[in-house]
Amino acid sequence: MSYQHAADNWFSAIIIALIAAAVLLNIARAKAGAQLYIRRIPGLDAIDEAIGRSTEMGRPVTMIPGLTTFGVVAVQALTIFKYITKQIAKFATPMRLLTADATVYAVAQEAIHDAYNEAGRPDLYDPDDIRFLSDRQFAFASGVAGLLQRERVAASFMFGEFYAESLIFAETGNIVGAIQIAGTTTFTQVPFFVAACDYTIIGDEFYATSAYLSREPVLLGSLVGQDIAKLLFVLTIIVGLITTTIQGKDHWLVKLLGMPGGWDAFWRAIFGGS
Amino acid sequence: MWQIETGTTAGKIYVTLIVLAFLALFMGLIPVMQVLPPRGRRALIALVTFFAGLVFAAEFFLPVNKEGENLLSPAIEPAQNTLQIIGAMALALGTYGLIRLHLRNIVQQRSQWGYSVVLIVAFLTMGFFSVWNTLAEKGELPKTTVLERGFGLLFDNMLVPLESAMFSLIAFYIFSAAYRAFRIRSIEASILMFTAMVVMIGIVSLGNIISYQWLGLPLEQTAEMEKNPFSLRNIGYNLALPRIAYWILQALNAPVQRAIEFGVGIAGLAMAIRLWLSLERGIT
Repeated sequence: MSYQHAADNWFSAIIIALIAAAVLLNIARAKAGAQLYIRRIPGLDAIDEAIGRSTEMGRPVTMIPGLTTFGVVAVQALTIFKYITKQIAKFATPMRLLTADATVYAVAQEAIHDAYNEAGRPDLYDPDDIRFLSDRQFAFASGVAGLLQRERVAASFMFGEFYAESLIFAETGNIVGAIQIAGTTTFTQVPFFVAACDYTIIGDEFYATSAYLSREPVLLGSLVGQDIAKLLFVLTIIVGLITTTIQGKDHWLVKLLGMPGGWDAFWRAIFGGS
Repeated sequence: MWQIETGTTAGKIYVTLIVLAFLALFMGLIPVMQVLPPRGRRALIALVTFFAGLVFAAEFFLPVNKEGENLLSPAIEPAQNTLQIIGAMALALGTYGLIRLHLRNIVQQRSQWGYSVVLIVAFLTMGFFSVWNTLAEKGELPKTTVLERGFGLLFDNMLVPLESAMFSLIAFYIFSAAYRAFRIRSIEASILMFTAMVVMIGIVSLGNIISYQWLGLPLEQTAEMEKNPFSLRNIGYNLALPRIAYWILQALNAPVQRAIEFGVGIAGLAMAIRLWLSLERGIT
């Protein structure tokens, strides 16, 4: 079986190395005490408001990581849910975490248990609050929709990977009058969340959430590194655009960026020759 | 080096020994983890995480031969299989949690405990027929009429239609969500409404009928029109609703989606680096 390697595409290899360097350098800078700024994200400011509303109404908060399988998206989603649980623990507000992936379920149990311990309320932890409903998409969707309706939830947090079931969750939450905050990396579902939720966290804001909530230097430094990487992409696009417009698509620089190839192609483009 | 010939006796013994060694390693790690102070435990986890991630990173960056493989390439598939095995073990844990919750609901007669009875009965019945069907397909049990009818009834005639019913609900939800999104409350909502109308009409047959039959706009771009881009015919050609819809999707919508994808990809990579180097302290 063949896999993609750095040798297949020099451009991706260099870009990955540059992004990694930018992230690590800025983490080191942040750890050294550099003051880093993060802009306001209204959806995240509304988390405490939604929890407060649930507490006042005495109705549960639901946390749904969607169909996220265990990976970076799941870790990020559970980090956000851990923060929410710590806030919930202060007021003893009931919560439900509903998942479609068994591995996420196992890790979520530990993460939520830790959150209650860290908040100083281990007595509030109930393993039955974290539920694995089904790994089939629409069986999971009907399970979540049923729970939202039966328990008349007051706040619903949806963070993770969502597909066709996203609108079923969001509209059901809307019907029961829950405050809904959603964040997803699946851009095809963003319009549905924007239409049906009170606040939507779009694209890489999802990954910025933990930095925003915790203000940890490591995470803030990583964010700055990501911004530098994005700037790099923008510069590449602009250089490619101007060169193609002025010199045409056969210019060596356009070929170098547009049709990378392996390291041999890279050295040929730099030093010439066949 | 990473692939073992399991057909031979030596291979089977080798595989058994490897499995037993890993089991011993994991079982041995449990008391070690309990004895270690939190800082030591964290260091051990960080070390294991780093070396596990290093296999995948090194496999990507190391030079490859003509077949596109390097020393570590054959190790990737077994590593992914291991992840699947861990996932299967977690599935058992998830199912146990689900059954425990619903059995408690029944025993303690919590509110709406009748639904829990339905779930347990459905789980046992479906599980029974699924296991029977799997064994019958392997030839280890007879494929009887009861199995065929029972499995067909539960899977083809109940589960599939129920899932289709849930999926079809989305159509109604899209309608209600679209109504709220398109209510003209601001300039942005008006632009959204107008753009959505153009795209919706442009990509269905109505756009063709309005543009080419009713308004008589040119369907094809001739060489003469290409030479005179500001001629009335060429402007008319570009103002056809299907072409405007296509332009909105390709020139406005696609770049925005790609920009989001770029951001998500970079942020995902940064997160992966933080996890690999154990710099992420969220749930760890």
